[in-house]
Amino acid sequence: MTALDFSDGIFLVDFEFHPARGREGNPPVPVCMVVREWPSGRTWRYAQADLQQMAAAPFPTGDKALCVAYYASAEMDCFHVLGWAPPANVLDLFTEFRCLTNGLRLPHGNGLLGALMHFGLPGIGGEQKDTMRDLILTAGPWSSAEQLAILDYCETDVVALDNLLTAMHDQIDWPRALLRGRYMQAVSLIQMNGVPIDIDALAKLQTHWLAIQDQLIADIDRDYGVFEGRTFKARRWEDYLVAKDIPWPRLESGRLDMCDATFREMARTYIEVAPIRELRSALSEMRLANLQVGDDERNRCLLSPFRARTGRNQPSNSKFIFGPSVWLRGLIRPKPGWGLAYVDWSQQEFGIAAALSGDPAMMEAYRSGDPYLAFAIQAGAVPKNATKKTHEAEREQFKACVLAVQYGMGEASLAARINQPVARARQLLELHRRTYRQFWKWSDCAVDEAVLGGRLWAGFGWQIHTRDELNDRSLRNFPMQANGAEMLRIASILLTEAGIRVCAPVHDALLIEAPLDELDQAIAATKSLMQEASRIVLDGFELGSDVKEVRYPDRYMDKRGAVMWDKVMSLIGGAAPA
Amino acid sequence: MQDQNTPKQPAPSTSPDLKSLRLPANYGATLGVKKLLTIVPVVRPKKPQFFRTHGSEDMTFPAMILENKESRESYVVAPEIAQEISELVRPVMLHAAIDRQNNAFLIPVPLPGEDGTRNPWHESLAQAVEHAKAKWIRIAANMHVGGYDIYEAEGALPDPEWPEDGIDALVEVAFRGKIISSLDHPVVQSLLGKI
Repeated sequence: MTALDFSDGIFLVDFEFHPARGREGNPPVPVCMVVREWPSGRTWRYAQADLQQMAAAPFPTGDKALCVAYYASAEMDCFHVLGWAPPANVLDLFTEFRCLTNGLRLPHGNGLLGALMHFGLPGIGGEQKDTMRDLILTAGPWSSAEQLAILDYCETDVVALDNLLTAMHDQIDWPRALLRGRYMQAVSLIQMNGVPIDIDALAKLQTHWLAIQDQLIADIDRDYGVFEGRTFKARRWEDYLVAKDIPWPRLESGRLDMCDATFREMARTYIEVAPIRELRSALSEMRLANLQVGDDERNRCLLSPFRARTGRNQPSNSKFIFGPSVWLRGLIRPKPGWGLAYVDWSQQEFGIAAALSGDPAMMEAYRSGDPYLAFAIQAGAVPKNATKKTHEAEREQFKACVLAVQYGMGEASLAARINQPVARARQLLELHRRTYRQFWKWSDCAVDEAVLGGRLWAGFGWQIHTRDELNDRSLRNFPMQANGAEMLRIASILLTEAGIRVCAPVHDALLIEAPLDELDQAIAATKSLMQEASRIVLDGFELGSDVKEVRYPDRYMDKRGAVMWDKVMSLIGGAAPA
Repeated sequence: MQDQNTPKQPAPSTSPDLKSLRLPANYGATLGVKKLLTIVPVVRPKKPQFFRTHGSEDMTFPAMILENKESRESYVVAPEIAQEISELVRPVMLHAAIDRQNNAFLIPVPLPGEDGTRNPWHESLAQAVEHAKAKWIRIAANMHVGGYDIYEAEGALPDPEWPEDGIDALVEVAFRGKIISSLDHPVVQSLLGKI
């Protein structure tokens, strides 16, 4: 497939828009649109009034036409707001530029101007772009001259697209590029849908947050004694860890590793660490005002698809409700008469590693339903009839080992995590290598490919250039992460095209919603389509999924954040508990 | 399932079957990277080291060995030279062996003398090597009985992954730069007290 296959034409499209009523989190209001036919250069300009009178896009959008944009989800948002049927085929030059250059150093970034400069093409100055964006964000009314200037500005972007498509045309992997374009349509649907938020609880939080911080510290710190005023004291934390016999990772200097990632990681193993991690995170990072909630009480923000090196979405932590403070997820609440379901693939990384490496023992372990216990059995560490109940401690160690391999952890970190001598950690890692030899051979080959071949790729073409990346851990982990991202993209496409309301993609999960009387059916369809997505990406190997249901009036809650949520809510005398 | 505010869905795509777009994760397939055998020690297994020996006769190699005790190095000696310095060399059978980390090595087992007998330590080592063809074992010297105790691994340990190289390649790597084909070899000269 190439551009030649689109007999009804190729149309470069750009909208200018601003959020409705100037509020981030609201759907966009299209201001104007410019369309340019490629390669003829014929151009059509549409002002806001023109757009509002159109029932459909004023250019072919069927099977034999192609719609080209830069960051196409924004253009698709405008299609939706205008009530236009979306195009059958979308090519997003942003995703293609990211794919072509991922891993390379781009001095000018990967925005439209950066892409133009990368190919040595002319573009308008960044300053002029900012001025025009500011003008558009005023939401009008604009004078005739201003309207003309906005249209002219919009046209510069389609001219830029014209040049860019010409430059990139021969480097595009067309069938997979169109799949990525299809994902950008799914992203648009998901962004437009958004996540339902308990606006009353949010308002109370925003009102009282500053005032309750001291109370909150006093309340949570009662069980820890590690704060002095609003300051977290590392020495006191060390005393607490000693008293509780919790091994904690240290830096080379010998001091405790106090970074948030370590707190987050340790909170997974030691649940008592979770409240203090949530508190630290909340005090340092939480900017409730940044959480984007529209007038319809739904969290909407750019999902930032393809932003991560692995191809995963990378939405803003402060704008997206699934940012780092997990207790804030308690704000997610279905509307009356509706329910939510958080559906995630079971042990996705392990399953991907098993399938892609073709390791028969690993695949068998995944299919057992409990890969951690299966690993212990396969390694001969527990009897064949062992169960989670009879060998819980061993299972936990083998689970930690599997996760350690996935994260690229060394023996010292694993030892700290399982509170065992380094020799035990070394033994576990060795058992992993012996039990899953085929996986390790494949993983070694991935590193060889990256170092010698200069790139790695995922199942549907997402790739990374690896000349500058010699981090063994990142290289080994890339296939799992990048194929996990491919799987999520395909599942998002399948679900949205099946009419399921997807609220948000979250790493290896999708949050969906449905009216209560249709929730069971929606969950069944979601599970089925997520299984199908796994079979597509893993050449027939199927991953299972787990579901967490929330039915109104209940709220969503991550168990790691439940204590913090309850404390905060009791302090502000607010919303229903978790 | 959609309410009236739900955005319109794209028409089902006419793009080709998704599975047909899948790229294989066959990393390294065209690069032909293989692990090279660069070090093959010639040693008796250490006390804590579980090991296996290859079950095939093809993975043994008879050789005349000269051991330099000072440098703890072993040299293989060409037969015509061995005849000339018979008091310094001894005939051994080199057995391909491997440890739990899949590191290959050669175990030199001294052969019986002309009368068909051999030192009990050597006899004990030969038995251990035979045992290791089927089981993971480790050995420890027992000074009281004058031989090696054999400890068999109790777990159902997987079979080792032998390198693709044959015994000739193992011997070649093990004795690279350590072949004595002339009486002028400095090690021989040194042992004969000529330098």
